[in-house]
Amino acid sequence: MRFLQRFNNEQPQAGGDGDSGSDGLLEQFRSQGDQLLAAGDEAIQRALAGSNSEAFLRAGRQQGGE
Amino acid sequence: MSRHSTENAAAVALPKLCGADIELGNFITGVEHAGGTGYEASRALLAQIKGLPNRQNGYLGNLWTAAASAPRAGAANSAAVCASTSQWAWNPQDVSRRFLPGNGACAYIDLDHVELCLPEVISAFDHVAAWHAMLRIMRGALDSANEGRRPGHCIQVLANNSDGQGNSYGSHVNFMISRRAFDNIFWRKAHYLQFLASFQVSGIVLTGQGKVGAENGRPSTPFQLSQRADFFETLQGTQTTFNRPIINSRDEALCGRGASGDLSAPARLHVIFFDSALSHGSCLFRVGPMQLILTLIELGLVNARLILDDPLAALQSYSCDPTLQARAELISGESLTAVELQSAYLEDVKRHAAQGVFEGIVPRANEIIALWEDTIGKLAAGDLMAVAPRLDWVKKLLAIERTLEQRPELDWDSPEIKVVDHLYSSLGDDGLYWAYENSGFAEQLVSPERIAHFVQNPPADTRAWTRAMLLRRAAEEGVETTSVDWDTMTFKLRGRYSWPSYRAFDLQNPLGSTQAEAQQIFSSTRSFAELLDELESLSGGTTLPRKTLTANSSNSQGEKRYALPSTIQQ
Repeated sequence: MRFLQRFNNEQPQAGGDGDSGSDGLLEQFRSQGDQLLAAGDEAIQRALAGSNSEAFLRAGRQQGGE
Repeated sequence: MSRHSTENAAAVALPKLCGADIELGNFITGVEHAGGTGYEASRALLAQIKGLPNRQNGYLGNLWTAAASAPRAGAANSAAVCASTSQWAWNPQDVSRRFLPGNGACAYIDLDHVELCLPEVISAFDHVAAWHAMLRIMRGALDSANEGRRPGHCIQVLANNSDGQGNSYGSHVNFMISRRAFDNIFWRKAHYLQFLASFQVSGIVLTGQGKVGAENGRPSTPFQLSQRADFFETLQGTQTTFNRPIINSRDEALCGRGASGDLSAPARLHVIFFDSALSHGSCLFRVGPMQLILTLIELGLVNARLILDDPLAALQSYSCDPTLQARAELISGESLTAVELQSAYLEDVKRHAAQGVFEGIVPRANEIIALWEDTIGKLAAGDLMAVAPRLDWVKKLLAIERTLEQRPELDWDSPEIKVVDHLYSSLGDDGLYWAYENSGFAEQLVSPERIAHFVQNPPADTRAWTRAMLLRRAAEEGVETTSVDWDTMTFKLRGRYSWPSYRAFDLQNPLGSTQAEAQQIFSSTRSFAELLDELESLSGGTTLPRKTLTANSSNSQGEKRYALPSTIQQ
């Protein structure tokens, strides 16, 4: 993962030494989060399958608003 | 009364009443016009919003409606437009602002966008619920508008702020502030303006929806935090559609005729900076922390050490770095990341909260502060996955990076990736946010019941309650509502010998005419005219009651003069 990889490489990591309980919870959430994100994968695949992305974007042209 | 009158006035903080006017992207897939299909889409959608008052405009109103609704070239192939053009002279629905008797909100068309205006609320949590209630209403309208349409030619509605082709539309939030604070920001104390701008700019780490690419002549970038950053080109100004300012100085109080020039009346800060939000957290963060910061500004508790040297440049730097490492210089010469700057604002807010500054002014201030602190802490710790359920830009980034992993033939410039960007905010069944919400990956800060409540009911603690109830009562009694605005309504009653009699009713005080004040009158009065008489006596006619808090400038301790309605006490 590109930005995420850079984010993880450049940021100080949560937890650090010692607080293994907190690390465990975060790791559990990350693991669960990965599964939950998968719900989006299906929606994305469905949206992109068989559609013409360029035509979709052209049709989406809007008036500037406000 | 001149502006000199405010020079020696006591600092006053008002409860941070909040409204919002939010445009949606709308178009028809499979149909391409040079100017887009927003005209057809917006009108087909507005026609499906249920519960609009059945009112007849007067002669001049019809002329206005006719001029505003006249179809443009290229629009005639929409069934919805054909239907409306056949009766356009008598159909006030197109373009006109329409208030909803259900919840006191309104919907209308602005430059071919459906625009949803939320009923006034005081709590930031109610803002989240009211916004999602309006999204629910809009999703229902979308389903209805798409019934019977040809496959591949469906209406799409996006709760975003840019079409990716250089056109932006707004997601505005409005805050009631004291006239003194408004004048200080725009006329007297430049550092107040900079303090607010620096707060908003760094706040995109919380409020951004995320966007693929750059627009408006900005340098190319794969992904940025903010939908809107590309479009801000100046620090302050009254304009909203060009050369957009970070801080908008439009002065329309919407609390009585002439209130904009009345220094004793509250002012409205029209905030055009923020993105549309779907995640409850992002939505809460565009209101809750603003309520706290505006309270500090009202009370003169402005920390000039937090001011960015160049907020416009900082906005670009912060927005284009999803790794959150970008730094921007403060006027002190120190360089901070957006997260560090938000953390500094948060520390100031916490210090003043400990002294009770926000009590009676910002409902559930401690909860807002706790969420703000938790989120900033996780961002500072580099734990994006932990804040993904709360923040839109993080969810969107995660979704796109997964797509890039799973489809290695795509890159950031692929149109498919821009489609995913747009579909994140789609209100249709293809909406990515709703997929996450259904799977439990979107944190819910307000309950589904509270959202459902605001679909059918107005907020109890603002004038929106009486507005909605008057619309309902008028419809029940066959009284024609001839005009509605945020602070006034006009009804056509039957006078002597059945001659029509027009009666204006003012809702000048945004904090007045609440359910607690007015419900008894609605249940006890017999005729509509009596009802208006009683309601007027309640609000003191055109007098604007105020709830104020005065600050001691030496220690920031507040002295409440009036109690807030019990429904908004912390």
